[in-house]
Amino acid sequence: MPTTLPSADVHLASAAKQSNISRGFWAEAWRQFRQRRLAMAALCYVGFLVLVALLAPAIAGTKPVVCRYKGKLYFPALAYFNPAWENPIFFKDRFRKLYPENLKKKDPKSWAIWPLLYQDPYRRIRTGEWEGQPENPSGDKGRPNRFNLFGTNQEGIDVFAQMVHGTTIALLVGFVSMGLAGAIGIALGALGGYLGGWADMLLSRITEVVMCVPTLVLILALIALVDKPTIWHMMAIIGCTGWTSIARLARAEFLKLRESDFVIAARALGVGWPRIVFRHVLPNALAPVLVPITFGIASAILIESGLSFLGFGAPPPNPSWGTLLNSGRQNMNLWWLIFFPGLAIFLAVLAYNLIGEGLQEATDPRLRDAGR
Amino acid sequence: MNVSRWFAWSALSVFLGAGLAGCSGGDKKAEDAAPPKESAANESPAGTPEPGEKEEVLLEPFDPPTLAELDAKAQWEPQPVGDTLQMMRAKQAKETPLVSVEEALKLRNTSPDLNDKILSVLGRVATDDAQADFDAVINRHSRVDVRSTNPILTSSFAEIDINGLTGFGMFGFDWNLEPLATSETVKSWEASKDRLYDKVVLRDDLTWSDGKPITAHDIVFTFQTIMNPKVPVPAVRAGTDKLRWIHAYDDHTVVFFHKESLATNVWNVNFPIIPKHVYEESLKKDVTLKDSDYHVQLEDNPVCGGAYTISKRTRGQEIVLTRRDSWYMHNGKQVREKPYFKEVRFRIIEDPNIALLALKNGEIDEMELNPEQWRTQTTDDEFYRLNTKASGVEWTGFQFLWNLKTPFFSDIRVRRAMAYAFNYKEMLDTLFYGLYQPSNGIFYNGAWMAPTNPAPPYTQDLDKAEQLLDDAGWQDHDGDGIRDKEINGKLEKFEFGIVVPTIPERIKVCTLLKENLAQIGIICNVRPIEFAVLQEKMMNHEFQAAFGGWGTGSDPDTSENIWGTGHERNYGFYSNKEVDKLFDLGRKEFDRKKRGALYAKIHELTYADQPYTWLFYRNSFYAFNKQLRGYTFSPRGPYHYGPGFSSIYKVKP
Repeated sequence: MPTTLPSADVHLASAAKQSNISRGFWAEAWRQFRQRRLAMAALCYVGFLVLVALLAPAIAGTKPVVCRYKGKLYFPALAYFNPAWENPIFFKDRFRKLYPENLKKKDPKSWAIWPLLYQDPYRRIRTGEWEGQPENPSGDKGRPNRFNLFGTNQEGIDVFAQMVHGTTIALLVGFVSMGLAGAIGIALGALGGYLGGWADMLLSRITEVVMCVPTLVLILALIALVDKPTIWHMMAIIGCTGWTSIARLARAEFLKLRESDFVIAARALGVGWPRIVFRHVLPNALAPVLVPITFGIASAILIESGLSFLGFGAPPPNPSWGTLLNSGRQNMNLWWLIFFPGLAIFLAVLAYNLIGEGLQEATDPRLRDAGR
Repeated sequence: MNVSRWFAWSALSVFLGAGLAGCSGGDKKAEDAAPPKESAANESPAGTPEPGEKEEVLLEPFDPPTLAELDAKAQWEPQPVGDTLQMMRAKQAKETPLVSVEEALKLRNTSPDLNDKILSVLGRVATDDAQADFDAVINRHSRVDVRSTNPILTSSFAEIDINGLTGFGMFGFDWNLEPLATSETVKSWEASKDRLYDKVVLRDDLTWSDGKPITAHDIVFTFQTIMNPKVPVPAVRAGTDKLRWIHAYDDHTVVFFHKESLATNVWNVNFPIIPKHVYEESLKKDVTLKDSDYHVQLEDNPVCGGAYTISKRTRGQEIVLTRRDSWYMHNGKQVREKPYFKEVRFRIIEDPNIALLALKNGEIDEMELNPEQWRTQTTDDEFYRLNTKASGVEWTGFQFLWNLKTPFFSDIRVRRAMAYAFNYKEMLDTLFYGLYQPSNGIFYNGAWMAPTNPAPPYTQDLDKAEQLLDDAGWQDHDGDGIRDKEINGKLEKFEFGIVVPTIPERIKVCTLLKENLAQIGIICNVRPIEFAVLQEKMMNHEFQAAFGGWGTGSDPDTSENIWGTGHERNYGFYSNKEVDKLFDLGRKEFDRKKRGALYAKIHELTYADQPYTWLFYRNSFYAFNKQLRGYTFSPRGPYHYGPGFSSIYKVKP
């Protein structure tokens, strides 16, 4: 950030504490954020979730992470990210998605590195698939045990595997939808706030109109209309309707900043308005906008879980946390179907809220000082 | 004595895209969307004509002969008139209870043996009025609200349940699905030798709930109303439209004129009756029977011809029926047996889990259980404190429907590959807790219309499935791990969608199919859709594959519109000339044995063609309060036949 002209009050605040070099706005914010233990713990937790999501196929799966088969190396576990990434040789050799037995049978010299747990988020493990591991219990028999850490659901699908793979959905929903909402919100807010006049008038009215659209109803309508509704459609809708508060904050920030000295200076130097908006004003207006985005991620996760809970989530079989909750709702005796995914949703939402709060305090000097 | 006759208009096959109640999860579309008769598209709002329905005049004028002329040529033959409750008593008199009542109430229903024991005792109908508590109230569970209380606007199970108790009818059928006229309302029933005419003489001690007598003119009026194309009759017109005319020769004698001499004519005479004096004038002003103020009032307070009247209706919550004294009393004398319950309350509870809680607390007295509830949630002391449970065989089959006009399923080899690909064992043992039986064709094994030596059900064999797909040209040509085939110069991937109602159990079956097909290089996308939309898509043939079920009709002929070429419920475009011909012959054959052989042939032909992949039969599973007695099961469950609900009573506390 040092290349931009810092806003006056932040500059003064940091200058008061550090007499030698000014630290810059973002560096200062980060320093402040780091001092907040809860917020940092939350950030670490989200980092952990990202790690889990990325490594999901290596944590729980039925496909080898790496295997050597007929003299070549393959990575079948990638199929969990995209089914098309599974090498067709395994189809041609009629593996039928059962690797352990077929690898040995069809190429005795093959070797493979397996995921930590031999469990699948999409199907029940049956007898004899993995040496020494019994078939997954189904019905109400699936309480947590050595092989099914978090138990199994009614169909006998492992809950732990579903939760690990469901992390991807939970994170994606938050990041993608709020990324989209942030992009739309900041762009429209910036234009409205900086240009003012009729453009502001028009954009503000559009914002108000979008605010009136109920997200849930729109998603339900979409599921009925679209031929193949996927989780991406849902993210798009949450994103396209969730940008309004971001736009309003961005607009307010721009209204304030466009009258500030550094903007007037830039204008006096003859800098064009797009450059002023995106290069000079935007970086200084970002801080207050980041806060609703973080909270938005939390609420997007809740919306997705809520939809899956009601049975309108991503198309089945989807290992989403909300879907697990839904199957738990059908039989209250299966507490593990409610406890673990419920806890996961709670923690994820809490983490984002804590981050948002920390960010708010770290970037707003008034709150920061009040917190002392 | 019998309270509610199960009228034959509830007797035809029911599309169970969502089914009665044997399913878990929030499926309020379930029953609500199970029209009893004709096309499942009857879900369309009142006033919208069904696709394929004729808009022209449905009834040509007809000049009936005089009764003397008719009597001279008809050669009348008497037809069965009886009381199904008496018949049930006679049947049970020959059976001995296997245990005592106290023992039966202590039993836990964990095996077929124990189920038989429980039913042999608690399923016995009352032989003596002293056994029953006539002041009892029964709280029944209903998944959905009714849309109309007018009998001729009936289209869902919820409505059948209400109108079966409040409506007036002349015909019914017993637990073997044998048709008969009920002696409670009919004095005699005769059919001409050629089956072209039916003559029914009504009893003269029948009144509507407003005190006016029920006469033959009500029947004629109802028939003409049903056949009035402007009246939005959703379901009961089917079958009734096969009648040529109905004429009332006096207040009690009515003759049905048929268009053709058919074995199914015994079902066609059968439809619900509405009072002429109530609707004659109002119908002229409001043909919808629903919109005018007068009709709106009648909706909540209909004039009833059955054993019960509606005393309270809170939409979305409950419907209360009260026993009607003028039903069993006439001029100060008891002329019919007194219905057992003083009050029948239908409590509307959508969520099966909440319903089960209500049952355990004694707030409702009966409910249908899904397999998960039967196996895991009704086994503890808490459940057996107030309740017990029983099950029976039901002829309701479920299957995957393939659309034969798609490039995938037009080939019989592909359809057979599908049948080999599916893991039936996993479905039956794991998804349905081992409670359902495999299905192997359109008629239930052992029913009179099913073949004596039917082909065994398919079992999973992925090698055969892959071989068949290879033979059909579906191979992986482009090496992406997915089967494909060149169609019209374009390489088409084997990727299709299967539509299914948003009911967890059903979705699980489709997910299992997806898993199995993925093993052999086929992508199957499971698409749960809200039931009304699903119905629409099926009617318009806008689907590639679907999962659904059919309840049994009382006569095999009712499934013609599922299998006949171009028929309205033939969603998947199945066509086999021989099957069409056999249905035609079956309708005209009067000998039960020869008829059975014709339908058995249809069963075999359709099974060979595999337009569906037949999966399983869903049995009935019900929980009953321990005070209830007299429940027996038919192929249509414990209620929807004669005596059905009317044999159930509560013992004195």
